[in-house]
Amino acid sequence: MVPVARRMLFTDRRRALLGVAGVAIALVMALTLDGIFAGTTRQVSRYIDTSPADVFVSQEGVRTIHMATSVVPLAVTDQIRQLPGVSWVEAILFSSDALRVPAGRRPSYVIGYPPGGRGGPQTLVEGREPATGEIVVDDSAAKALDIALGDEVEVMGRRWRVSGLTTGMTSIVNTSVYVTFDDLAALLGLPNTASYLLIGSSGDPESVAESIEAAVSGVSTQTRQRFSAEERAVVREMSTDLLNIMAIAAFLVGLAVIGLVLYAAVLSRLRDIGVMKALGLGRLGVSRLVLIQAMWTVVTALALAVAVTFSIGAIVAALAPDIDVVVEATSLLRAGTGGVLVAGVGVVIPLIKVWRVDPATVFRRTS
Amino acid sequence: MSKTALAARQLNKTFGEGATEVHAVRGVDLEVNTGEVVLIMGPSGSGKTTLLSMLGAMLRPTSGEIVVDGDNITAIPESRLPKLRATTFGFVFQDFNLLGALTALENVEFALNLGGVTGRHARERAEELLTRLGLAERLSFRPDQLSGGEKQRVAIARALANQPPVILADEPTANLDSKIGHEIARLLRRIATEDKRAVVMVSHDIRLKDVADRILWLEDGAFRELHNMATDPICGMSVDPQSAPHLQIDGEIVYFCSTACRDEYATAESDGRHTAPLMHTEDGSGDR
Repeated sequence: MVPVARRMLFTDRRRALLGVAGVAIALVMALTLDGIFAGTTRQVSRYIDTSPADVFVSQEGVRTIHMATSVVPLAVTDQIRQLPGVSWVEAILFSSDALRVPAGRRPSYVIGYPPGGRGGPQTLVEGREPATGEIVVDDSAAKALDIALGDEVEVMGRRWRVSGLTTGMTSIVNTSVYVTFDDLAALLGLPNTASYLLIGSSGDPESVAESIEAAVSGVSTQTRQRFSAEERAVVREMSTDLLNIMAIAAFLVGLAVIGLVLYAAVLSRLRDIGVMKALGLGRLGVSRLVLIQAMWTVVTALALAVAVTFSIGAIVAALAPDIDVVVEATSLLRAGTGGVLVAGVGVVIPLIKVWRVDPATVFRRTS
Repeated sequence: MSKTALAARQLNKTFGEGATEVHAVRGVDLEVNTGEVVLIMGPSGSGKTTLLSMLGAMLRPTSGEIVVDGDNITAIPESRLPKLRATTFGFVFQDFNLLGALTALENVEFALNLGGVTGRHARERAEELLTRLGLAERLSFRPDQLSGGEKQRVAIARALANQPPVILADEPTANLDSKIGHEIARLLRRIATEDKRAVVMVSHDIRLKDVADRILWLEDGAFRELHNMATDPICGMSVDPQSAPHLQIDGEIVYFCSTACRDEYATAESDGRHTAPLMHTEDGSGDR
């Protein structure tokens, strides 16, 4: 079969390019916002993802770090250490506040851990772990707030001296700072308690998690992967309305663009459509013609949008390391489905227009 | 022995109703045999295009019937008309109406696709037709890369693609110079004779009379007897003396197709300019 729909669409390259670009812009908008959001949720769970712990223990019923308060008695650590499959146990304290310096402030998770233990920063790019009265901050936040080793910063109402810089713990939303367990316990006024227990396992983490939960009352356990997923989910749930508004905005822009593109394409080819109908193209045939053009526009636009979004991600990563643009498969699927939906709705008016084209128009003179 | 390829019986078409009612075609009877070329002439607004649209199954008549190869196409449901047009009629237009996005080959192939021929068969048939019409070197050219004559030959190849019994041509030479127009006219004649197609042409071009077996005069939606027609000395068109603008010159009445031709003639006469002599033919038509 002669690919007449595709030929008609792409013969006028400028018009086709404008159409594809228009739809691609809407898709780029949706994909980039989605990518920034996905990147942010990943950054939010980075402490968990980079932790050497296989299992996290929290207060019973608490499933996340974000938007939660967890209190676990330190006394249970010995009990857990005795359980089969548990190779190490470490307590951390968690709170949230802001990292303040004269140059500005940044919302921050505050993590208290025993220096030399596994709950602290996984990488130190400069300096050393915190001692009493000292703090480790993220290099990205330090750069943004003009903080150097040895500087004083304010967190939770007291001043700390910066002893080290870690990396990868700052997102578009917040950053993380590390102090000693004892310092944070004193600030919080919670003696003999931890927020979470980090567990290293020598066996299957799922089984270890189950055995801890069975043996110790008042706690919940999750594997690292599960804990991370819960953490991302709570952030996502908090942003559902915003995401929906973004998706609807992108959908409407895409709808308007593809509708206009196809309508303009149809209007510019009304005579050709009349000729095709005169030659014997039926209603089904002209419908297929318009639908194929819509599909080509959306598929080409989607490919372009993905390429542009990845490029934006690379540029953003170079210019603003705090912002991570992650294009996930679900995002692509959503954009693709949205694009197809947009095309389906966008063709309605052009379809009505081509259905109404009278084949006898071929006898009208063009000049 | 030739048979009737196309027959129209008591064909009427009325647009609008009441005060705005227009009778575009009235009581037209027409029979065209295979291998025959029929030329329908007439002034603008006489109903030629309406008649052609009805004959080509693009417009439903108000009454009457059209029979093609024994089938009454006026009784066929709307949904089957596109397929009928694809396989029963070949169309040739004044503006060529080639699809600008497709090459010459694809234009013909597309018509074959509509007729149900696809793939290699369609491509080979399209190539064969275009080669036969002298366009073997122009297969991959788009319409905007072709001359007027070449475009019209592509259009004729497209019209022949599905071997329809009837070719309907609307002013097929109007956008061509006289030499190319004559070639196209002869080509249509040859197609009718060699391929046994019935060719119906609607035109103002008196040169087409040379290739036509019959000439019909349509005026006010009805056929008129051509031997009663006068010839416009300016443009050479046949005109009906009963309704045509006219002048009396030296006791002789001269008829015109329009007031524009009449005024031009009158101006030339008053200026003493010589108007080109008209070669009268037996049926009353003429050529300069």
